[in-house]
Amino acid sequence: MKERWEFTPHHPGLVETSADVWKHRGLLHLIATRAFQRIYRRTVLGWLWLVINPLLPLAIRVIVFGALLGVGSNGLPYFLFLLGGSIAWDLFSATLMRGTRALEMHGELSDLIYYPRAILPVGNLAPALVELAIKLGVFVVALAYYALHDGRFYVRSDAALLWGLGALVLAMLFALAISLFTSVWGEGTRDMRFAISQVTGVWYLLTPVLYPLSQVPEQYRAWIVWNPMAVIVETFKWGVFGVGAFDAPLFAWTAAAVGVLLLAGLVFFTRAEARMFDAR
Amino acid sequence: MTTAGSDPRPSPGPVAWVISAERHDGVLARVREVWQYRRILSFFAVRAVQSLYRKTYLGAWWLFIRTLVPLLIAAFVFGEVINVPSGNVPYLVFFLAGQLPWNFFDGPLVRASRAIDSNRQLLTKLYIPRIVLPLGQMTAGVVEPVIIAAILAVTLVYYRWADGVWYVQAEPRVAAAFAAVFVILWFAFAASLFTSVWQGRARDMRYVLRHVVGFWVFLTPVAYPASAVPVGYRWLIYLNPMTAPVETFKWAVLPGEEHSWPWFLYTVAVTVVLFGSGLWYFARSEGATMDKL
Repeated sequence: MKERWEFTPHHPGLVETSADVWKHRGLLHLIATRAFQRIYRRTVLGWLWLVINPLLPLAIRVIVFGALLGVGSNGLPYFLFLLGGSIAWDLFSATLMRGTRALEMHGELSDLIYYPRAILPVGNLAPALVELAIKLGVFVVALAYYALHDGRFYVRSDAALLWGLGALVLAMLFALAISLFTSVWGEGTRDMRFAISQVTGVWYLLTPVLYPLSQVPEQYRAWIVWNPMAVIVETFKWGVFGVGAFDAPLFAWTAAAVGVLLLAGLVFFTRAEARMFDAR
Repeated sequence: MTTAGSDPRPSPGPVAWVISAERHDGVLARVREVWQYRRILSFFAVRAVQSLYRKTYLGAWWLFIRTLVPLLIAAFVFGEVINVPSGNVPYLVFFLAGQLPWNFFDGPLVRASRAIDSNRQLLTKLYIPRIVLPLGQMTAGVVEPVIIAAILAVTLVYYRWADGVWYVQAEPRVAAAFAAVFVILWFAFAASLFTSVWQGRARDMRYVLRHVVGFWVFLTPVAYPASAVPVGYRWLIYLNPMTAPVETFKWAVLPGEEHSWPWFLYTVAVTVVLFGSGLWYFARSEGATMDKL
């Protein structure tokens, strides 16, 4: 019997890649474990950094911006205000950072086995989700404290909470969409990682997390809504606390834009995947 | 050192390895060594500066943009949104005049602290006086404040044109600004003698340093004037050794600022003590640290 081998380039489409990712879902565990190890390998305090890293900056900012500079907070305790904004923002920035570094961090894994690359940005998210869970835990404790202390429950208890949840999911999808591009551009170099940390630093200041949108001078406020993260964070705070600006059509537009970007990112990523294999 | 470990054959018996190098101990010998190895020092300095912009598309422009854009946006948020007071000058001028001395501390310290950790590969292979590494890495941190100085100069010219006023001193006391920068750089180097060793031993230091520096900038009157702190607490903020040189710098450059020479001398004293103990600590622990790399 004669065997025939034929080698041709294979360019999987969007659907095939998605199916492939699902088939390799067992790998997610491995990638997530590696992502965690990366945080506390060679450190003395170990996994404690997973808790300290997100919470310490929060404490510092509460002291500086809430207590020292007396920044406004829409009538909420500043700690709750900042924590709420940070939950949405940090999910975005952590997802973006980890998604961007996914290919660079697990590059050597690709030399050994085959798997769809698209699984990397997803698996690399795990520490971001754990950080989110830690912050949510602190949030619940803080709510209980303020309920006892002020006799007031600052979180809404109606269907509007769903808007908050929607905003949270949108923040993550938005970061994932961007990282589908940036991870490909940054594969093999560390430049992209530095550029991303620079950009997120600036972006953070332009997003109403530290301060309420209402404190931005009137003439600039029209500009700041062009920042999708401003819309997302404000919607999140409106959904959770019932304070701040909420504009349903604007949020819908933002969601649509994120959807388009995500699709474009997936197409871009799957196209680039085949090319990257050859380059290695 | 790794020779015994990497030999796959079973050891024939108790073999003692004695590896020795002629080297004088003590702090003074270390300092003399730096002079002997000064060409390596300049090599490290050049390499550290190049690493800032090499392999980027925009080259040296990237450095400029990376410094300018965050500063402008931070100045907008602090000045326009949060409305931090800034004395008699526009907030942008005030902010840049604070960021300039601060960046002589921040960048050099963070970079010098990485010196041992990021040169692991090199240090395990050849001998160089280790103290050269933080010194060389520090040089890269000086680039950024120099760029900020250029931005400040352009801003001053802009306000001369827009407001018709020079928001800057043209008096002999401007010389005090150089003294302040010198003390700050010295302080950063003294601190890095400790932090670079710690970071070589444990990665934690990278996180610790990031949090510490991120907090320290707010404990120092960089984005706000020291006069915004309630009078009762002002001595507390001056206990921070970075406060006095930053205030002196602003006093030397901007009109209508206040500062205090006694507190400046306090910072100098702290720096001298830190530097002395740092040299001693670095010389004492470099050997032990190298073995654990």
